[in-house]
Amino acid sequence: MAHWDRGLQDRLNILWIACYAGSAILGVRLLHVQVIRNVYYARVAESNRTQIIHQSAPRGKITDRRGAVIVTNKPAFSLIYLPGETRDASRVAGLAKTLSKELHEDSEGLLKKLREAHEEETAIHLAENIPLKTMFKLSELKTIYPGVDLIVEARRYYPNGAIAGHLLGYMGRMDKSSWRRFRRDGYRIDSWIGKAGLERSYERQLRGIDGESRMEVDAQGHLKRKIGEAPWTPGANLRLTIDLNIQRAVEEGLRASPSGIGGAVVLDPRSGAILAIASTPSYDPNIFLLPDWERPKDHLKNLHEFNRAIQGTYSPGSTFKMLVGASMLESGIDSKDTIYCSGKFTLGRRTFRCLRKQGHGRVDWIGGITHSCNVYFYAMGLRTKGAVIERFSKMFGFGSKTGSGFKGEKSGNLFGPIARKARKRGWYEGDTVNLSIGQGELLATPIQMAVYVAAIANRGTLWRPFVVSQVIYPDGTEEPVQEKKKNSTVKLAETTWDHLQEGMRAVVTKGTGRRVNIPGIDVRGKTGTAENPLGEDHAWFVAFAGREGEEPTVALAILVQHGGHGSAAAGPIARKAIEAAFPPGHRVQLSAPGTARQEDL
Amino acid sequence: MKSESGSIRGRVDWVLVGSMLGLLLIGTVSILSAASPLPYYSQIIQKHFLALGVGTLLFIFGLSFNYQIFQDQAKMIYALVILIMIVVLVFGETNRGTRGWIRFPMFSFQPSELARLGTLLVLANFLDRRAKSAHRVSYVLGAFAVTAPVMALILMEPDFSGTLPFFPMLLAMLFCGGVNLAHLFAMGSYAALTLTMPLIWTLLSLRPDWVSSSAVLGFLIRLREFDIPLLIAIAGIGLGSWLIYKIMRALRLNAPAPIFIVAAAILSAGLASGVLIDHQLKGYQRNRFVAFLVPQADPRGAAYNVRQAQVAIGSGGLWGKGVFSGTQSRLGFLPERHTDFIYAVIGEELGFVGTMAVLALYMLLLWRIVNAARLARDRYGYLVCSGVAAITAFYLLINVGMCLGLVPVAGVPLPFVSYGGSNLAITLLSMGIVGNVYSRRYAFY
Repeated sequence: MAHWDRGLQDRLNILWIACYAGSAILGVRLLHVQVIRNVYYARVAESNRTQIIHQSAPRGKITDRRGAVIVTNKPAFSLIYLPGETRDASRVAGLAKTLSKELHEDSEGLLKKLREAHEEETAIHLAENIPLKTMFKLSELKTIYPGVDLIVEARRYYPNGAIAGHLLGYMGRMDKSSWRRFRRDGYRIDSWIGKAGLERSYERQLRGIDGESRMEVDAQGHLKRKIGEAPWTPGANLRLTIDLNIQRAVEEGLRASPSGIGGAVVLDPRSGAILAIASTPSYDPNIFLLPDWERPKDHLKNLHEFNRAIQGTYSPGSTFKMLVGASMLESGIDSKDTIYCSGKFTLGRRTFRCLRKQGHGRVDWIGGITHSCNVYFYAMGLRTKGAVIERFSKMFGFGSKTGSGFKGEKSGNLFGPIARKARKRGWYEGDTVNLSIGQGELLATPIQMAVYVAAIANRGTLWRPFVVSQVIYPDGTEEPVQEKKKNSTVKLAETTWDHLQEGMRAVVTKGTGRRVNIPGIDVRGKTGTAENPLGEDHAWFVAFAGREGEEPTVALAILVQHGGHGSAAAGPIARKAIEAAFPPGHRVQLSAPGTARQEDL
Repeated sequence: MKSESGSIRGRVDWVLVGSMLGLLLIGTVSILSAASPLPYYSQIIQKHFLALGVGTLLFIFGLSFNYQIFQDQAKMIYALVILIMIVVLVFGETNRGTRGWIRFPMFSFQPSELARLGTLLVLANFLDRRAKSAHRVSYVLGAFAVTAPVMALILMEPDFSGTLPFFPMLLAMLFCGGVNLAHLFAMGSYAALTLTMPLIWTLLSLRPDWVSSSAVLGFLIRLREFDIPLLIAIAGIGLGSWLIYKIMRALRLNAPAPIFIVAAAILSAGLASGVLIDHQLKGYQRNRFVAFLVPQADPRGAAYNVRQAQVAIGSGGLWGKGVFSGTQSRLGFLPERHTDFIYAVIGEELGFVGTMAVLALYMLLLWRIVNAARLARDRYGYLVCSGVAAITAFYLLINVGMCLGLVPVAGVPLPFVSYGGSNLAITLLSMGIVGNVYSRRYAFY
């Protein structure tokens, strides 16, 4: 059987060659894939196994003038989802269902989020700032659903709650349209952004550069280990001119006032630096950072965003009387000139009343301002003429914004013959009478009033109020942001300034503002009760104060909306603010000369 | 002829054994690496080493007595093959929808592997005995008749990819056995038709716009069912060939009638068995075709596996990432990594050097098998070795080609290298038989 046809081996050779040719093709393909295209495939493999998790950089802190923390960050847990290769739709749906129970969110929306994450192949935040009790429940999910993970991130925290809420503003999510604008600057769709107040206007400085950690993930999306990290750069800190003690005093005072509604501004009359700026009712910015389910449903609807300190316009009432005094004295009327107050003032057929029904008797400038005698100012206002008062009020910044740079600041309303003319209406003597006591169409914001009273304190400088003194970058460099800047200077005779300041001192020592008389501190002020045709009167108190014998260092304007009488409602708040500005240990001993000087007049 | 008879050097092909051992070594290391993240790692290792042990015994068994016994016992072998295939259909264990395993206390065995080798031996016997009538149609039809029942039984499991190696085996053995090339061509076209029709239908079902815009394609896709269009098509084929025959006769062109009969028969039978195969195809198998034909159709689906395999191989570079360091394989991006896609693990962890080493070892091995065929002392040994060479080459080309995205994904192992006890044991047995043919290459000693 040995002699079989070995010629058939030619056929075997053909097969053999075919097989080698096939292997050669494989070899060439291997060369192409492994050697020539290696860089490309290596990159794909690398991106396969790595998932970049962004870590929000801690935002810059905000401190008051002494470095006390107003806004900071604290670690909080976020629930993230890393889309793996799980193509099992029912599993993803199951996750959405489970999460919706824990996160109190509707599962359809969650499912949409999860699907988007799969499509974009990016990690997403499912919930942030998770409370501890929920966290323990959620951490169990990690083991059941690959891709779900809890990470620690720095979250904004406002340790003082609602204190300075309006000033600070709040954080929020971007809507899609603003994200398009911000994405160039490295914002992600789930980045937080300052939505109001300083958080918004200093967004660029406060925000740091987000870090990223490169995690190794397996095909199911389980995080395996960290393989690289680009640390974040924290945002720059802001140092404010705010004095947290004064701020707290003012704000608590406003809240405790009869109506609980009001606005207040405390300035340093030497620079225009804002020591406190408050508006009540306000909001606690922490609320915005809570996960949705922890937040009251209608919190946005009931958000008290109206900032009365800069947006509320009110008649200044009697606090305007220093301005009337300045116009009067500058017009050549002697401060010793007296008016007899019988309790009422008749102009034509109209009768204007004084605060005191039985009248103040014969009063001069000091007497008129001390007791806020309307009749004195009616008469002097008529002698000065409305146009002059209007000119002076314009000089003192009424009717124009203070330039503080706060968003939404109102300019108030000038009242006088010129303003009337602009509206093509006539000016009558009765209007002058109203203007003389700061009523009528005259409207001013608390910040304007503070600038005005600060100008009386510093004898003529109208400062531009500012609140941010420095930006302190992470590398330690400090950049001054807003420096003191004069808006304008009011030039009055030195004697006029003396008269104004002495009058305000008399108000505090023996007049309507006695509640604010603090031993050891030279407080000068003026009450105001703005008549409000719509309801209870608005209560004003404006003042400036300094240590005895020294130049004034604090100027303030307090408004309590519907607070009734200025002395009763706004006075105590001013007192608290001044007390906070001059803590007991720092006060100068009560000295006689201050009162003696008053008695000389 | 050198006289080396009697000496052990001349009786055992050490190059064959060496290349085998090389492949086994690379395979074992790669399985250890690829399976290590799996929860049932220790089980896999146990089974692999068990299969290695059994395979070694089978290799020695294959070597130890005259291979001509296999020819003598062809009927017994054939009976055994049919028997175990029936047994598995009745008592087999189902895995992924395929009833293809017989469960033993420590392991499962896939009888279709043994059936393939058995069929090879039986087929070699058949072709050897009918060598004188190799030029006749009966040679092809007979070979087919021997193979078809086994293939049918495997298809009934149903295990489509299990039948694939039968085609290269049959073709190569017929070819090497001296078949009339015209017959082989006829059979080849039948096989091609059987296999391509499901492919065409799958492709057409992906493109309903093509189907609706063309009446021809519309008719083509309706042939998918055993229905009237199919009967019309078969009738059309018969009528068409008769017409062509008549026309050629009229033109006085000499065309023998049997050619037309055979052509018509092949076309009709190919179409019919194509429908049969199409019905046997499972969803995932069809998806593999789809992934190969239109990879962008489903980037996350079946094409994903091939893509990840290529990424694994490509990212390995020249030297690889090192054993136990492949991210694609260890992090689970690579599917079936210790079985069908083991070559991708080698590519990732051992790099171009590793993949080329595997290719080179295979070339060496195939050279030795072909060499054994060439030196075989009888036609039977020659045919057995040719069949083994064809199956081995087929596995290599399809498996590696699949990892590289050159051929559609088919559940085809890489002998010696990929994990799979039955295949490993039977492959070693067949190598033993090849070695046996080699060692008894001299007619007299």
